[in-house]
Amino acid sequence: MRRVALVGAGVSKFGVRKATYRDLVWEAGKACFDSVPGVKPKDLDGLVVGSVMPERTAFQSHISSMVAEALGIRPSALSARTEHMCASGTVGIRYAYAFIAAGLADLVMVLGVEKLNQPVADEAVLNMGTGVDREWEAAFGLTAPPCFAFAAQRHMAEYGTTEEQLAMVGVKNHTHAAKNPSAHFTKGATLDQVLGSRMIASPLRLFMCSPITDGAAAVVLASETRARALTDTPVWIRGTGQALDGFQLSSLHEDYAHWPALKRAAQAAYQMAAVGPHEIDLAEVHDCFSIAELIAYEELGFCHKGEAGPFVAEGRSDYGGDVVVNPRGGLIGCGHPLGATGVAQAAEVFVQLRGEAGARQVPAAALALTHNNSGMGEHVVMIYGKEPA
Amino acid sequence: MAEPVITLRHFFERARAGQLTGVRCRKCGELAIPPKELCPACYERAWEPVPLGGEGTIASYTVIRVAPRAFMADAPYAVAAVKLTEGVSILGRIVDIPLERLAVGLPVRFRPIVRNSQTAIGFGPA
Repeated sequence: MRRVALVGAGVSKFGVRKATYRDLVWEAGKACFDSVPGVKPKDLDGLVVGSVMPERTAFQSHISSMVAEALGIRPSALSARTEHMCASGTVGIRYAYAFIAAGLADLVMVLGVEKLNQPVADEAVLNMGTGVDREWEAAFGLTAPPCFAFAAQRHMAEYGTTEEQLAMVGVKNHTHAAKNPSAHFTKGATLDQVLGSRMIASPLRLFMCSPITDGAAAVVLASETRARALTDTPVWIRGTGQALDGFQLSSLHEDYAHWPALKRAAQAAYQMAAVGPHEIDLAEVHDCFSIAELIAYEELGFCHKGEAGPFVAEGRSDYGGDVVVNPRGGLIGCGHPLGATGVAQAAEVFVQLRGEAGARQVPAAALALTHNNSGMGEHVVMIYGKEPA
Repeated sequence: MAEPVITLRHFFERARAGQLTGVRCRKCGELAIPPKELCPACYERAWEPVPLGGEGTIASYTVIRVAPRAFMADAPYAVAAVKLTEGVSILGRIVDIPLERLAVGLPVRFRPIVRNSQTAIGFGPA
């Protein structure tokens, strides 16, 4: 297999945007091309677009061709759209990675985009429900927050995890997002604010949840030869893993505090990269809800099972700790425009490992991990390095 | 392809009558709920419907306060994942249990929720 690197990255402003779906594509596409002056749209031989529900939110399918035309890309080796609910972006990066590693493409853009906010506000909640099994689970009023609330209740019952510890994830990620101008929320949050915010599905309160957000992000992946010709500071893909345990919530192991699929995806990525969890300097993990970040610490091996609460409380997942988790502000602070999220995680790793992250730079960052999920039983992990091996 | 052993409609017709129903594989004995087309254990398609006792314990739960449009009038309401005595799990709405009494491990019993001619899975006091 050939080595593959990121050579460019850009994100749109995340938030409740007046922009159309296509406006968001343009905004992220331009930011990405601006980051790598040697790459023009016509130089790309591939495009993968991660997007979950434009059929519902923008009344548009045929997405990769629409994006190719909007950005002036003429794919000659790869054109595809990926839909894997909340993990669509990282699943798209894996496609591009595999094509380049196999020698089937040389220079591929992966763009993630979602326009979730609708003129009728609760339309977005209804649309998000399409990610849950319609016949057996969504039909009695189940949406994403209750699913992750199940995990939180279990984790609290088994390990004594507290509401304060769940809230600390919200505080950390809102605080990080305040240093990220493209984040949905940029005002930060205190522990009192998080614990005083509205209850959504017990024990998850508003500031422990990712909001409904519009946004887009793009990265360019290149073969080693092209990468070295384009930049002195490529960011190398070192490892990747994906694992699924089930779709229906009731098909999963009934102990929702354990996510064995995440552990397997992480092990595959660590093994491929030949690194261990304690070597990771920063991690962009899928904190769709604060409990997800806590369980991710454990399954990714940053701490032992059951110790995630104290891990966040002691600041071990913040600047100055063991590993900086979600320096861009995570999904809680940046928002979660489904298809864009995994690509935005990669874009953050790109600037961090090049030392270009400004006020939120993780000191001496050399190894980074991203984790994207589409439910408690479906996970994707990527490992990136400043060095190729 | 032949008709499934038990369809969604049949499952809910039985549920409406108060009977929670799973399927058991005649080849390998695997028990499944909700019903599936193929046995996840042996990949045969040899299901037979089996009545379940409807008793179990709460594996996890949550109280929903911000609900989708169709359920807004119900909020706050609780949903739970219930591990049935037979070893399989299913999700349902909690009825007739005070929200503050909910806990992991609490015994519950199946009861159908019928509204506007639609049947949903519910669990009430054991």
